[in-house]
Amino acid sequence: MHEFLAQLVNGISVGAIYALIALGYTMVYGIVELINFAHGDVYTFGSFVALTVLTALGVSGEVHGIALVIDVCLAILAAAVVCGVLGIAIERFAYRRLRNAPRLAPLITAIGVSFILENVMQLWQGPAQVSFPAVFANPSLALGPIAVTVKQLVVVLLAVGAMLALQYIVHNTRLGMAMRATAQDRDAASLVGIDVNRAIALAFLLGGALAGLAGFVSGVYYQSAWFFNGFSAGLKAFTAAVLGGIGNIAGAMLGGFLIGIIESFATWKLGGQWSNVTVFAILVIVLVVRPSGLLGTKPIVKV
Amino acid sequence: MTALLSIDGVSKSFGAVCALSGVDLSVDAGSIFAIIGPNGAGKSTLFNAITGIYTLDSGTIAFDGRRIDGLPTFVIARRGIARTFQNLRLFGFLSAIDNVLIGEHARMRGTLVDSLLGTPRARAQERAARERARAWLDFVGLNDVGEQFARNLSYGAQRRLEIARALASQPRLLLLDEPAAGLNPTEKRELADLVRAIRDRGVTVVLIEHDMGLVMSLCERIAVLDHGEKIAQGAPAEIRANPAVIEAYLGAPA
Amino acid sequence: MIYVYVLATIAAVVIVERTRSRRVKLAILAALALTLAIVPFVDRTDATFNVLADAGVFVMLALGLNIVVGYAGLLDLGYAAFFAIGAYAYGILASPQFGVHLPFWAILFIAAACAGLAGIVLGAPTLRLHGDYLAIVTLGFGEIVPQVFQNTQAVGGPNGIAALDVPSALGHSFGTAAVPYYFVTLGGIALVAWVARNLGRSRLGRAWMAIREDELAAKHMGIDTTRTKLAAFAIGASFSGLGGVIFAAKLGLVSPDLFQFQVSVLILSMLVLGGMGSLIGVVVGSLVLSLLNSALLPNINAVIASTLHVNVDLTNYHFLIYGVILVAIMLFRPEGFLPNRERRAELHAAAITETSS
Repeated sequence: MHEFLAQLVNGISVGAIYALIALGYTMVYGIVELINFAHGDVYTFGSFVALTVLTALGVSGEVHGIALVIDVCLAILAAAVVCGVLGIAIERFAYRRLRNAPRLAPLITAIGVSFILENVMQLWQGPAQVSFPAVFANPSLALGPIAVTVKQLVVVLLAVGAMLALQYIVHNTRLGMAMRATAQDRDAASLVGIDVNRAIALAFLLGGALAGLAGFVSGVYYQSAWFFNGFSAGLKAFTAAVLGGIGNIAGAMLGGFLIGIIESFATWKLGGQWSNVTVFAILVIVLVVRPSGLLGTKPIVKV
Repeated sequence: MTALLSIDGVSKSFGAVCALSGVDLSVDAGSIFAIIGPNGAGKSTLFNAITGIYTLDSGTIAFDGRRIDGLPTFVIARRGIARTFQNLRLFGFLSAIDNVLIGEHARMRGTLVDSLLGTPRARAQERAARERARAWLDFVGLNDVGEQFARNLSYGAQRRLEIARALASQPRLLLLDEPAAGLNPTEKRELADLVRAIRDRGVTVVLIEHDMGLVMSLCERIAVLDHGEKIAQGAPAEIRANPAVIEAYLGAPA
Repeated sequence: MIYVYVLATIAAVVIVERTRSRRVKLAILAALALTLAIVPFVDRTDATFNVLADAGVFVMLALGLNIVVGYAGLLDLGYAAFFAIGAYAYGILASPQFGVHLPFWAILFIAAACAGLAGIVLGAPTLRLHGDYLAIVTLGFGEIVPQVFQNTQAVGGPNGIAALDVPSALGHSFGTAAVPYYFVTLGGIALVAWVARNLGRSRLGRAWMAIREDELAAKHMGIDTTRTKLAAFAIGASFSGLGGVIFAAKLGLVSPDLFQFQVSVLILSMLVLGGMGSLIGVVVGSLVLSLLNSALLPNINAVIASTLHVNVDLTNYHFLIYGVILVAIMLFRPEGFLPNRERRAELHAAAITETSS
């Protein structure tokens, strides 16, 4: 029972990271029906940006008090802004031209962008794992029978906060509304005067920013970053988006937490070497059995 | 006369929208049959139900005495029902002749081994198929365009190519979804002649059409759909005089 | 010398493609085959044929993936899995691991069958999916297969299987030279290219094109789309299985890290570079990229080292190069460099309609 709860807490923390990345996949898919394959690498880019900022601020270990707040805010801000802009740039230069091309074309391009980003990061930070400063003091707190570390708490709180902010932007701002309208029907949206390109760029901006935040969070959580992290994290986050119902923002969050929990239990019960296989098997099964996911709806065939 | 196609009590709804409700239809072999009705009446939905794109909520569809509802689209096509589409669905980046050859797919024999090894049998069959495809292009009046991409043909030629592609499967029933849409008067007259020629080859034709002049002069039987229900069926003269039809087209009397 | 051979070969196949006369085509092909067969007896540098044999395996793989992606239009991102299955088939059936020592030639058939079967097993449940979803499922499958090999101790776990049997033909062992493998891949390419060409002109090939263009319309033509797509998966996979056997036999070992996602993307890049759907394009694209890796980049390294006295290893950047190829070609010349007619029109027309909305 004790181990069960510990694994659950673990899974929720990791799941929060997947959920943040999954939001980017789901928003972009919802609006342009493209699997933004490079999104996982944007997330890794976020880790490195945050790391660079922290290093520049002279942070190499635990920080306390007001300095902690400032350092963390700066690192998050930098990662989110840089990754948001990176997202927009990728859309503008790699995908926009191919919006009406056969479906294969943008996906192949996305894989190419992913390879380029990975290689650039490898040149920048080297091929090995890079250590990331343990910014937070990390005592364990006892919440009843459950032991939670500060790190886990911070990860989950940051993720949940970002998701609430996203919900607000998407549902209560004009741009968010434009984004949802464009996702519904691009032609109709442009007919009623919505700037479709801006709405699409917003999806990439928000997705990129959340991936940047996820990059910071995962750096703090794992205390390391690696140029190739984004590949499997991206696949798992995409699995989360599909599990929740692609295009559905609440679904991506739910899926992220579920995948985190499933992975955590698979590692516990089957061993770490099977955790990837388990997650990919879920991807295959969900797509085959219920491609609309848990919260999605089945599309009607148009002839 | 025996019914080639019998539709009994067919209903289909999408969410809260009822596209077809309790539609009965019976099409005699060797006839030219029209389905008319205002936009959104469920005409194309009916075609999609016949060719197995939609599963029915209730009712049955029989072709030549055998149930076809619930069968996959490709099986229905192989039974002998071919169609064209309201918004042309040609294989645009293939040549016209390749489009027709694909139409012959179900009529060609050939094992996987034939395809893999390019056996003499496969090659002979390929030559014969190509000749038949040319003949179909001639039949619909498309000589000399065989090697052009389908999407580069004129609109009227694309409509005809779609008919040639459908005929290449040697169907017994041909469903034409608004074949005259976008055609000029001359092309419409040629289309009417083509449809008669198709019927004279023993193919039963069901068409959806908005051009009343064409429908009245070409078709022997007409069914009228409105809001997913069949409100009338009969010969052209009967339909023209039917008050329910007039109401559906002109709106409810004030 | 290697560049001379490859460029001459490329020139020959391009001329064959552009010539109309069937007789001239056959004559050039015969001359090419004869030359390629004689060359190893004249040029005795084994390293050259080592590179060419490796390239040959990739040509076979690319021709197989071309059936799936180029002909049928199904993006398979887990293609390396079938390559792995072929290679492991050789590892299991021709090594001391299980004490089984079947002949190389028999395993070629077995591996092609196993890989084809795996293609069906993967395809049967997944081919209902469209476009991107299918691509991602195949990617998932492509990740699962090497992971399973890695996690299975019976096939050596992460270390794989080593000390594989050296093949022999007519009682003569292949030994350590690369030339026998060069001949095997030549034969393999000839076989696979011939089959691919037949398929492209067959009833099945047309059904693939129909599905690629408009699946719904294809169904209305009486095409059993599920079976037709399965056939593409199975045939493409079996080509890959053949390549896997040759690859494993030549290397003398198999291990799970040889079949990562990058391999699938490498093969995809070969297709994209040459032109998806175009036989000549795929052959040339795969030759060029294979050579880039194994010969051109190391040569450039050496030149840089000797002239600028800087040690760089450009082979570290080959994935960057694949990435740039994928992006640049899809954006500016999506039909590749040696496209066939249909695909040029389809891919190009779509790409140049830049959206202004």
